Amino acid sequence: MKKLVYDIINKLDIPEVTYADVRFTNTDDQTVYFEKGNLKYFGSDMDSMALGIRVLVNGCWGFAGTTILTDASIEKTIKKAITNAKVGSRFRREPVSFKKLKPVKASYSFAPKEDPFQIDDKFKIDYHEKIAKKLVGNEKIVYSNTYTVFYRQYKIFANTEGTFVDSMVYDTMPMMYVLASDGKETMCRTWPGHMNGRRGGFEVVRNVKMEENADKIIEEAIKLLDAPRIEEERADIIIGGGHLALQLHESVGHATEADRIFGKEISYAGKTFIKPAMLSNFKYGSEIVNIFSDSTNEGGMGFHLVDDEGTPGANVDIVKNGILLDQQTSQETAALLGVQPSSNMLASFADDIPLIRMTNFCLAPGKGSLDDLIKSTENGYYIDFTKTWSIDDNRNNFQFTTEIGWKIENGKLKHIVKEPTYYGITPEFWAACNGICGPEEWEFHGTFHCGKGEPGQSMHLSHGVAPARFKNIVCNVKA
Amino acid sequence: MEFRNELVKICEQYPKFKFNFHYRNWETDFLRFYQSQINYNISKTSVSLSTTMYKGKKSYSFSLKNPIKAKLLEKIEEVKMIIDKLPEDPDFIDLEDDLTKSAEKEKINNIEKVSLDKKIDILEKLIKAIEPFDFKIYGTFICNYRTLYIINSNGLNKREICSPIFLEVKAVSNKNEVTVLETYGGENFNTFDVERFTKDLATKVEAATGEIVDVEPGEYEVVLAPRCIGDYLMYLESSMTARSLDTKQSFFEGKVGQKIFPENITITDDPEHPDLINFDYNHDGHIYKKLPIIEKGVFKNFMVDNYYGRKLKMKKNGAEGSGLVMETGNKTREELIGSIKRGLYISSLHYMNFINRKETSVTGLTRDGTFLIENGKLTKAVNNLRFTERISDIIKGISEIENRSYTIPSSSNYGEFEIYSAKMPHVKVKGFKISSSTRTV
Repeated sequence: MKKLVYDIINKLDIPEVTYADVRFTNTDDQTVYFEKGNLKYFGSDMDSMALGIRVLVNGCWGFAGTTILTDASIEKTIKKAITNAKVGSRFRREPVSFKKLKPVKASYSFAPKEDPFQIDDKFKIDYHEKIAKKLVGNEKIVYSNTYTVFYRQYKIFANTEGTFVDSMVYDTMPMMYVLASDGKETMCRTWPGHMNGRRGGFEVVRNVKMEENADKIIEEAIKLLDAPRIEEERADIIIGGGHLALQLHESVGHATEADRIFGKEISYAGKTFIKPAMLSNFKYGSEIVNIFSDSTNEGGMGFHLVDDEGTPGANVDIVKNGILLDQQTSQETAALLGVQPSSNMLASFADDIPLIRMTNFCLAPGKGSLDDLIKSTENGYYIDFTKTWSIDDNRNNFQFTTEIGWKIENGKLKHIVKEPTYYGITPEFWAACNGICGPEEWEFHGTFHCGKGEPGQSMHLSHGVAPARFKNIVCNVKA
Repeated sequence: MEFRNELVKICEQYPKFKFNFHYRNWETDFLRFYQSQINYNISKTSVSLSTTMYKGKKSYSFSLKNPIKAKLLEKIEEVKMIIDKLPEDPDFIDLEDDLTKSAEKEKINNIEKVSLDKKIDILEKLIKAIEPFDFKIYGTFICNYRTLYIINSNGLNKREICSPIFLEVKAVSNKNEVTVLETYGGENFNTFDVERFTKDLATKVEAATGEIVDVEPGEYEVVLAPRCIGDYLMYLESSMTARSLDTKQSFFEGKVGQKIFPENITITDDPEHPDLINFDYNHDGHIYKKLPIIEKGVFKNFMVDNYYGRKLKMKKNGAEGSGLVMETGNKTREELIGSIKRGLYISSLHYMNFINRKETSVTGLTRDGTFLIENGKLTKAVNNLRFTERISDIIKGISEIENRSYTIPSSSNYGEFEIYSAKMPHVKVKGFKISSSTRTV
């Protein structure tokens, strides 16, 4: 396939094409899914190949993608990409332009400790069946499921600037869920929560210890049925890593995607409250808030040697000591903002057009353990495990509900509370951050399901976070 | 031999197994624009085969891109080695066996009919109409063409073609980002009236040139645009399926035949409605026909597919909510707005998510034009607002319904995505709960 990509990029090295990139992906995935103790789905999508061609002609992008890799289809795809750009350029008022990058020639292959595609299927089924059987049997648990998605993707990237890179990565996403009912209402618990994707193979499944935590989530789901709700108008909240990853994702990650500044996502994902003039001076959070986009960390699903337009992986400060410094950018938007591209242009599959996407988008650790943070909290709540999330078109007003919370009194965890719900305005919320746990609590959480773009793409990405505390947050919202 | 026939032959060739095949040829031509210019135009093609292979109650599923017979046979041999080792699904009884066929109509490929040049011509017209108000257009203009063959070992051999068009235009003020929205959806491009579309968009833009205000959280009388009530019903639809009963997440559990909503609420699922994007079959291949869901406030029917129909011993009906139609009322839009002293007009919703699915509680936001109604008139644009509310309460709160309805297209957007539509009127709702303001438009 390298030859195929090489041949196509050579064909595109013609005067009328200002820039072109070609990508090929071969993706495998496998899913094991048990529901109410029974295997409901076991299946795979192997050798799913795709090709994508993006060209810049007359200052306009044109793109064509296909999964049909015959000679005739490839020729048609090349022509279609060029035609889309040529015809489209009559509807382009400001031509796209950006600087050339130095070419990169490299290769990368992630080696999982346990390659899930080499492990016997029967073993994977038995492993999950054991967990699934533990989730049933209690009469108050009216529904349960457990599943894991295994994924690997081989990618070749080449552009007309001379970059040629291939890579292989493995990601895994395990989950279990129980729903308890007392006949009047229902309450759920998940493990390890909704930010459950990780770089790695079957070792990821072992690491989250689903079997060991099955009884715990059953007990908590049942207890939630009789638990009180938060009654205070406002409270200090400590947010656990799994949910904080989503808070960071929605209120900082998406807000600092530069395509939103220029309105490129208005038609679907939305805008951002950030304007170019805010860079280097806007107070995004308290002084302890440091946020960075790091595609150089191999531990996260956002690692890459180059992004999908050839920008080498980078670690870029987005918020430093509470001040907004930079954006996640493409070459095109970086040129418009007068900054260096941040290596955030990615597509889910080769037949998708690259978009500005989060990679490893992280909150830098502070100091101390979670125990220390709880001990230093006189009154408040420790909350975790996302249940509901929602944020506005400008990434300014958000409201989240977690599955469970624990009341903190005089530095100690007390009783649980059901469906803790809080609301905030992004910069005010991050300005209220007055404690972030240290490196010992910092870890990657992630998802396979970050949706963006049209046609939509679902991206794998990671967030490195440690639990953090936010003071005086509105938490009395009820439906 | 046509690949479809190969699939039929494979069903006969392996009598110890049962097969369910979805063989799909799919393409899209997808124009995305912003700041009154092109963002990009994407052309995508794919051919795929999704297969589930059964041996008794054991099954294995796989997908192939660009399937050929040799590759498929190789995969089947692989599955034969695995399938005996898998645990059974005790709830699986049999595959779909409804052999009823629709007319399986041929459809014009709108990707060919509505070229990129033609799309640009239309958009240039829109730009001209709104430029004097200092607005720019943002949005998408999509044409898809998809042929799906559903073939299984119970003798199903069906074909469905979809050729949807979806145009969504947001006009955004250069001055303050106030936004208005206009959409078109359907399969017959001859029904697209560019003059009317342009006029409707320009009228909305003109109404959106006033000042922006914020409103306090609280209960408001609101007029929901057709798209909003369509969105709420699409969310509620997840409670109307047999699967939701099985997973204990249905608001409608135990409520068939009960009056849940006001007398004026009648909702059907009508995949053959002439104003909608039409579907012949559900995902199992069952014939998909009009089905009453709510009649004069009474919940009538769950949408029942093959698996859960058999499991829960409910009669399969093939409905899947891809053509929801709400019956109209007797007021004009102007009368709905005119009857409100102080309230809100909500054009569109954003990022809605369930807090508790069974209770139908959701939170979400308004988007693309929220307006203050004062003394029966739209007077000012309002910052986007958050609602935290039960959908069932919103529908219970519908006091008046418009006397005409509109086609509301929506795109599933991911993978080999489909475009759907619903037919909805404006509705007036009492006691709509606003929980906070976003302070931005």
